[in-house]
Parts: sequence; C-alpha cells; structure tokens
Amino acid sequence: MQANRRRFLGGMLAAGLIPKPTWADAGGPAYLAAAAKPDGSFALCGIGRALNITFEIPLPARGHAAAAHPTRPQAVAFARRPGRFAVVIDCVSGAVKAQLDAPQGRHFYGHGAFSQDGDWLFTTENDYEHGQGRIGVWDVSKGYTRVGEFHSGGVGPHDIKRLPGSDVLVVANGGIDTHPDSGRVKLNIATMQPNLTYLDQGQIIEVAQLPPEMHKNSIRHLAIGPRGQVAFGMQWQGDGQMSALIGQHRQSQPIQLIGADDDHARELGGYIGSIAYSRNGKMIAVTSPRGGVVHQYDANDLTLDQVFELQDVCGVAPQDRGFAITSGRGDIGGLGRDGPAFAQSDALRWDNHLVEV
Amino acid sequence: MRRILLIAFAVAAPCITAAQAADPVVAKIIDTHILPRFETLAQSSGQLADAAATDCTPKSETLRAAYGRAFDAWVAVSHLRFGPTETNDRAFALAFWPDSRGVTPRTLASLITDQDPVIATPQEFSQVSIAGRGFYAMEFLLYDDTISTAGDAAYHCALVQAVATDIAATSAEILADWQGDYAARLLNPSPNGTYRSQEETVQELFKALTTGLEFTSDTRLGRPLGSFDKPRPTRAEVWRSGRSVRHVKISLESLENLMLLLVGDNADLAARSKHAFETTLSKLGILNDPVFAGVTDPQTRLKIEVVQQSVDAIRDIARQELGPELGVAAGFNALDGD
Repeated sequence: MQANRRRFLGGMLAAGLIPKPTWADAGGPAYLAAAAKPDGSFALCGIGRALNITFEIPLPARGHAAAAHPTRPQAVAFARRPGRFAVVIDCVSGAVKAQLDAPQGRHFYGHGAFSQDGDWLFTTENDYEHGQGRIGVWDVSKGYTRVGEFHSGGVGPHDIKRLPGSDVLVVANGGIDTHPDSGRVKLNIATMQPNLTYLDQGQIIEVAQLPPEMHKNSIRHLAIGPRGQVAFGMQWQGDGQMSALIGQHRQSQPIQLIGADDDHARELGGYIGSIAYSRNGKMIAVTSPRGGVVHQYDANDLTLDQVFELQDVCGVAPQDRGFAITSGRGDIGGLGRDGPAFAQSDALRWDNHLVEV
Repeated sequence: MRRILLIAFAVAAPCITAAQAADPVVAKIIDTHILPRFETLAQSSGQLADAAATDCTPKSETLRAAYGRAFDAWVAVSHLRFGPTETNDRAFALAFWPDSRGVTPRTLASLITDQDPVIATPQEFSQVSIAGRGFYAMEFLLYDDTISTAGDAAYHCALVQAVATDIAATSAEILADWQGDYAARLLNPSPNGTYRSQEETVQELFKALTTGLEFTSDTRLGRPLGSFDKPRPTRAEVWRSGRSVRHVKISLESLENLMLLLVGDNADLAARSKHAFETTLSKLGILNDPVFAGVTDPQTRLKIEVVQQSVDAIRDIARQELGPELGVAAGFNALDGD
C-alpha cells in the first residue's frame, strides 16, 4: 500500500502534476530520533504523535541529533562528534538524498538548523587547526552544496537553533577546544569561555556570557520557547559540584540561572543531556543520563516543579501535554499531567536527542 | 513538587545516613594508592628543584635524572584528576598536554626572546600561562633542539630553575591538600560534604580509572598512531626525551593497581583484570621502540595498534563488568559525553 503510494507519488511528481511532497507523505512524524539497534547498526527513526515509530532508515554510523526541514520531508542526520559527514534523508522513500562532507580542516559537532524558508542549512563545525567555531552554510536547492561559513562567536559550538519567525540563529558555544589528533580530549579546560551567541545574516548581534566563576560550565544544548526565549543546558567541566546547570536568556537581557537545592542539583551529575520547553513555554524539562533523572522547572519562577527518574534518559521534546522522553535503554513515553506513560522496546536504544519536526 | 519513579526495581536508592562507616576499599585506595603516589610526586619534585638550583644546564645528567624521576611520579598520579589536583588548575600547570597548537614552545620562545622578568619570583611565575609551566615545558627546555639552546644562557638557566621551583611548589600544594582534609573527605562521606555517600566516592575513583585508561589509549597511543595513511610519530608524548613508551607503561601499572583495588575480593574479575594488564604490558615490552617511531612502518605499527586494542579490552572490562559491579551508571547516553 505504502509502496504503491510512493510509486504513484513518484509518477505524479515526474509529471509535475502535484506539489512537492510534505511531511504528511512521510507518515507525518512528530519527532525524529537516532537509535542504536541490537545488531550494532544505527538508524534514524520517525516517531508519530502517539509515539509510534513511523519509519526507520539505516544510518552509516552512530548518530547524534537531526535537523528536520521546515516543509519538505527531509532530515539531516549528523554523525556523533567529531563526525566528518551528515546525511540528508528523504523521509518518504528512505533514500539518502545527499551526503554532507565536512570541508578540509573542519568537523561537525552533531547539530544543525534550517533557515526559515528552508533554503539554507547551518551546521556547527570546528576549525580545528585554529581552534575556532564555525557555522557552515549549505545550499539546499543545489543538493546541499557547501557555499560558505562564518564564525560561531566562540570555541566548540555545539547546538544551534533558529528563533521563531526570524532568521536569527542562536549558537551554544560550549567553549571546549578539541582537535581530532587527540580524539575527544579537551584541550583548554583551564581557560575555556563558553557563551551564547546570536547571529543574523552571519553577523554576531549579541553574545551572552556566564559569570567568570562559571567559565567551566559548557553551554551545550538549546531549547527555544514560543516567544523566542532561549533555555540552555550545561555540562560542568570543573571539579566538584555545580549547582546551576540550566539557564534561560532573552535577547538584550542578562542570563537567568536555574538551580535547585543541593540534593536535586547533585542528582544531575553535572551533566544535562537535552533540554526542551513545553509548547506554551511555561515549563522547561532537562534530562541527565548520568543521574538517570528528568527535572521539570517552572520557566517563570525558575523553581523545580517535578522530578522523574528513568535510567539513561536523554531525549526530550514537547508534546501536546507535557513532554515526550526517550532513553538509551529503549524507553519511549510521555510525562504529562496524568503522570508518566512509557513503553520499552528492546529493539532500539535511543540516542541523545528527540527532535521535533 | 512531585517525585516520580518509573523503574523502581532498577534503581536502588542509596540510603544516606549521617555517619557512614568508612568503606574499607576506599580506605585502602587512599592509603596505598593515592597518598604514597602524591608523596613521591612532592618529594621527587622537590629534588628536581634542588637539582636545577645546583646545575641548570640542559645536558646535566643529574638534572635530567631528577626530571625523569619527578615526571615518572606525575605520570603515576595523572589519572587522579579530582579535588586537590583541580584546585587552581594545578594539574594543568604541571601537565599541559596534548598541546595540539604548539602553545608550549611558543610561550617558552617568547619568554626567552623577551627575557621576560616574570621568572624572577615564584609568585610572578605562577601567573605565566599554564602552557609555559610544568613537566612538558621542562622537556622543551632540556631536550628540544631549538629551545634547549635558545637565548641568553643565564636567562635560560633561570627559566629552568623557575619551572622546576614551580613544579615543586604545585606538587607540594597538592600533597598538602590531600593530607590536610581531602583524604578524610573522600573517606568519610557526609550529607553536607564534598561526597555525600560511598556511591559518590566509588564513582569518583571509578571515573579516575576509566578516564585514565581512555587517556592512555586515545592520547598516549592514539596521537602517534594517527591514521594508517597519516601516522604522526612527532605527536607522541614526550618523544624528545625518549619517554613515550615509558609513560604508557607507568600509567598502566598505576591504573592496574587502582583497578585491582576497586575489584576487591571478586577473585574471578581480579584474575581477568590482572591478566588483561599483564598481556598489555608484555605486548608493550616487546616493542623495543621507546618513542613509537614505528607507527610509520606497517609491521611495527600493527604491534602498536595491538597494544592500543589491548588497553581498550581493559576499558571494556572496566565499563561492562567492574562498573555494574560497583553500581556505577554506564548507559548508552550516560557515557556519551555530548
């Protein structure tokens, strides 16, 4: 049935009779997530609103995050850092439409974002000979060809997101310098300076920084609220405990740090894996795979609202009520007003991120 | 606030009480692994400073021997990266490596060229970039063809002495903190302490083991190996002083000691861990290539790759068997580090 529909669509497309395929043609997934399979292979999965798997497409290596095209059913799946490639997948046919190879002297960090019109893809990259962060620019209409790059505003850019209704990009410059000749070894912990950089048309328009005593708090992952507010999850690279691993920022305002009491701060293990806003922007959920815990905070008064334990939890994204959550043990489910509802699958270990389409 | 527990049977919540009995495994690790090694580091670093004060010429056998002994002592603690070594970035000031962008020789060259007076007092010198301090900077000063002979001899001598004095001071500070109260903090977790439970102290020690093994595999061995098409012999650790293989050996011996202490009385796991280290050390021993120069030769390269695989086999035992036995999380995402 599905195959017939694909053939039919293909024929119609060739004849130029209908518009280009949309996400509905890919089974209307609400989310994308990379996963590891029991046979050691890797896949990118489409996940429906009911948290059912709508498609499963093989990936050549372990994935990290994915970026969904705003209109067309295409996803860019990134290899785990320090990956040299990303693949563009047609989520209707499962075919690889293009492969992005990092240019000479660059590697990907595992995240990317599309422009509002979907014509451009932006990728976080490491210019590793100079130890500088770069944002690579790829032309979607030309089959994802590399057309340029600009400075990310810092070192070690990790997540990148676009603010709603605009083409302003916000980049989490984690601050950590690495070089492929030393694997994943961190070269500059003593002097690292993470920041949150806003860019418009390749120009830095604002840089938000942490207080100096928190310079070893690597800003890694971002969530964007409906009114353009930015929440970020951090990973503490210093010794001992760090009470604030979450922050919230609005352009032209100072950073707000979100902490918890000592017991709850400690259970995050100094490490936020993923972060998400609820649809209405009133709640922020963060996951810590090291602590095996999800924290939900009130985004207005910055207080801890709910704690939920789940081993190796990492992916989190908003759903209609509350949050959808995945774990490296194969759990997938929701944390909503009626409490948690989870299913476990032995077939798929979910990787870091659950990306909303 | 609501607290929800999904998989209650899978998470054994630690029971935290005000005063826990000291864990005998942790006590033994502190007494026989940690403290003696930091004592050796402080002592041999002090002797290095004395030797430099007596004879600062780079080719001095006495100085080079004292440097070698102190550096050996550092490598034997280089996996113990928590608490006193991290205060004021002391470990970075002792050991800035890998230096992928060549900051160490650049910093030293500019000190020498400018005859920078910052070396005059230990206080001032401790403000110099960490790349220009510590054991790896000293290697350039004593063994690098260019830097060991660069500049004015009197300034070079004073710089060698400043670096040695700084190493001695930093090593003494680390030991003082361990003896002061850090050992007690690690031994006696308390609700308001640095460590709240034995689970947290064991987690810290297990992390020291796994990150130590990772560093030796990925960096000490991985850097010179590079790729088959692009081997990188001059990216080996301390090749100028001919110490590359020696560092792998010392780190593995120290990590074996820690791993066996963590394994405790599980005889089967102890035997297999011991065997895995012995196999690795014997493969390293037959290389007969002190600086991994053989990475460029396909046959020798294979032998070095086998050593690396052998270290990775130890990492697998640590992660997959010791970790779960100690109750340390080792999930797919928990270990990812992104």
